[in-house]
Amino acid sequence: MMSFFFVDPEIYRKYKDEVLALSHAVQVDFQEHLPKDQRHPALSDREIGERLGLDERVVREIRCVAERDKYGVEEFEAAVRFKDRACRDYARRGMSAVMKKYVDKSKDRGSDQSE
Amino acid sequence: MADPEPVQQTRRIKEFALAAGADVVGIADPRRWDEHVPEGCRPDDILPRAASVVVVGTRGPTAGAWRSPDHRVMEVNGYDFRNDAAIHRVADLIEHDYDRYAIQAPGLPTAGHLPPFSMMLAAVLAGLGTRSLAANIILNPKYGLLYYSACITTLELEPDPMLEQDVCPHRMCVESYRRFGKTPCLAACPVEEGGCLDGSIDADGRIDHSYYDRERCVSRAMNFGINSFQKALADIVAEADAERRDTMIHSDFFSRSCSAITHYKESVAQCFECMRVCPIGRAERKLQ
Amino acid sequence: MSAARPLDFDAARADLDATARRSGALLTGVAAADAFDAAPEGRRPGDVLPRARSVFVLGGAQPRAGDWASPNYQHMEVTTTSDRIQTIALKMAHVIEDRYGYYAVCVPPGVDRGQQPFVSIALAAELAGCGSRSLAGPVLHHEYGFMYYAAIVTTLPLPANRPLDAPACPAPECVDMYAEAGTTPCLKACPIEDGGCLGGRIEDARVAERRYDAARCATRVQNYWVPGFQHALKETLKEPDPEKQKMMLFSSLFTRTLWSMTYSNVSQGQCAECMRVCPVGSARRRKQ
Repeated sequence: MMSFFFVDPEIYRKYKDEVLALSHAVQVDFQEHLPKDQRHPALSDREIGERLGLDERVVREIRCVAERDKYGVEEFEAAVRFKDRACRDYARRGMSAVMKKYVDKSKDRGSDQSE
Repeated sequence: MADPEPVQQTRRIKEFALAAGADVVGIADPRRWDEHVPEGCRPDDILPRAASVVVVGTRGPTAGAWRSPDHRVMEVNGYDFRNDAAIHRVADLIEHDYDRYAIQAPGLPTAGHLPPFSMMLAAVLAGLGTRSLAANIILNPKYGLLYYSACITTLELEPDPMLEQDVCPHRMCVESYRRFGKTPCLAACPVEEGGCLDGSIDADGRIDHSYYDRERCVSRAMNFGINSFQKALADIVAEADAERRDTMIHSDFFSRSCSAITHYKESVAQCFECMRVCPIGRAERKLQ
Repeated sequence: MSAARPLDFDAARADLDATARRSGALLTGVAAADAFDAAPEGRRPGDVLPRARSVFVLGGAQPRAGDWASPNYQHMEVTTTSDRIQTIALKMAHVIEDRYGYYAVCVPPGVDRGQQPFVSIALAAELAGCGSRSLAGPVLHHEYGFMYYAAIVTTLPLPANRPLDAPACPAPECVDMYAEAGTTPCLKACPIEDGGCLGGRIEDARVAERRYDAARCATRVQNYWVPGFQHALKETLKEPDPEKQKMMLFSSLFTRTLWSMTYSNVSQGQCAECMRVCPVGSARRRKQ
């Protein structure tokens, strides 16, 4: 007997990628000004359910677990290092902390083309 | 010509919201939601006969907090919820002085990351900003990043026009994209280096493609909190060795996850790196 | 065109003091940012805000006389008032930026990685002349006794205060008691040699030695908060019998830890016994 509502792991494994792709998890071309045929606003759980032939509540559970599941806990550890470096670099070097690499690449490309 | 009564009411409510602590205020017509979100996510679904949506925005962190070289300062201390306080006062005013229903629109997640009502969309539809390349964050032309709250009401008010001009990309970012293939925000968190963002700008200087990996963003912007707590707990429960389990429970990572849950209201945004380099609103953050 | 008038820093200080008091602070003080030599590197004002010149300290939000008078110790456990002083500080940081155009950032009241404070607010209060460290631990003010503090680091060069010439602790009554009985009210309330947290010695009416068991204090002052939760979780996971495990999960202690964590802003300080008996400021805790 199920103690509280959760999805069967097999169902979860089968649908998690599709559910995530249709949800807000990865947001592609959300901007309101984009032409209708280009915009990809995410679907609601009900809409995803209709598309995949699943109950709305099952979709919701799959989505909630998949949101947590997509990246492991090590990604959260890595996030601390990422932010510490980014924040301190910016305090020291300003905008070049993020742009210098791309400016250098662009210069390299320029010199390649001139050769 | 607009009905003078809604015009006067609108002016009074806007002035009141600004005096209550809002930095910006805008009004949206609830019908604007029809084009953008499915049934169930519109103002009418939250308050029947909704006639207007009042949206307020506040700056959150001080300019000094943006200057701190320690990213944790803004994570723990970024937000004073003045927008919620202001919107509650607006709702009180409408119910008390105009005898119309008024509620705070629900912006907290109720299923996974999804709230019943999107504050970001409300801000766009109330003419307070447009969606950016940086995690789709709504940028206001004057302040850049703002925190938004909304009040749904049955009171008829004069809606503001939505912004015609995109706030993002800033002309400096268009130039940067053309020369180096990146805007500052895309360079700060590039998807090809394990970040969250990608996108492109067309020949007219408008966003023509955007990509945002929200779950990656969650690992940074909600670094310590419910997510990390659940993940660490899953590992702890699965650990068979009691001694190892004890050290996991008392680890700095798990302790901070627990602390973040307890202070989650104050610590809800924990990554600002794409916004730190955004030129929009920077003038407002430049002090002595 | 006339040059902008130079800012009168004395007038700015007077204005900020008055604004803070009008907002609910009981007292204010300023410490020079370069006076924090006693703090470890990385935990000084300049580490939070580059070019920091001053730390503006606010004190207040004390428990009321009635809170101290309650015979139910749990009353104060769930009505902690420290949150109020931080709210005033967040407002004052915006006042400094908006009114004077200098950077200002609130010192987060929580802890950073390794469970260490960003900047010691107690040290800031001492350096700003708001009080002095007591035998029991908290910073005490001569007149008001125990109170909560918040601190704002700013680039605004405000006229600074000096630490108090004479410490508020030990009070004359405590000096007399120590001479007679070899202890003080706070040491007697929580003696380290009898399973408590505090020990110490008074010589020439000054604290000559202080012993403090911080880990023991955490079991009392954060009785049901994160540390209590971690211990309860550890014990629960050790239990192999599912029936017993359920009893532990649903227990009063486990439930209470979760309440305290979710309401941490009003339920974090959970032991006040050393302060309950402290004579410093006790005159203000007597009502009819």
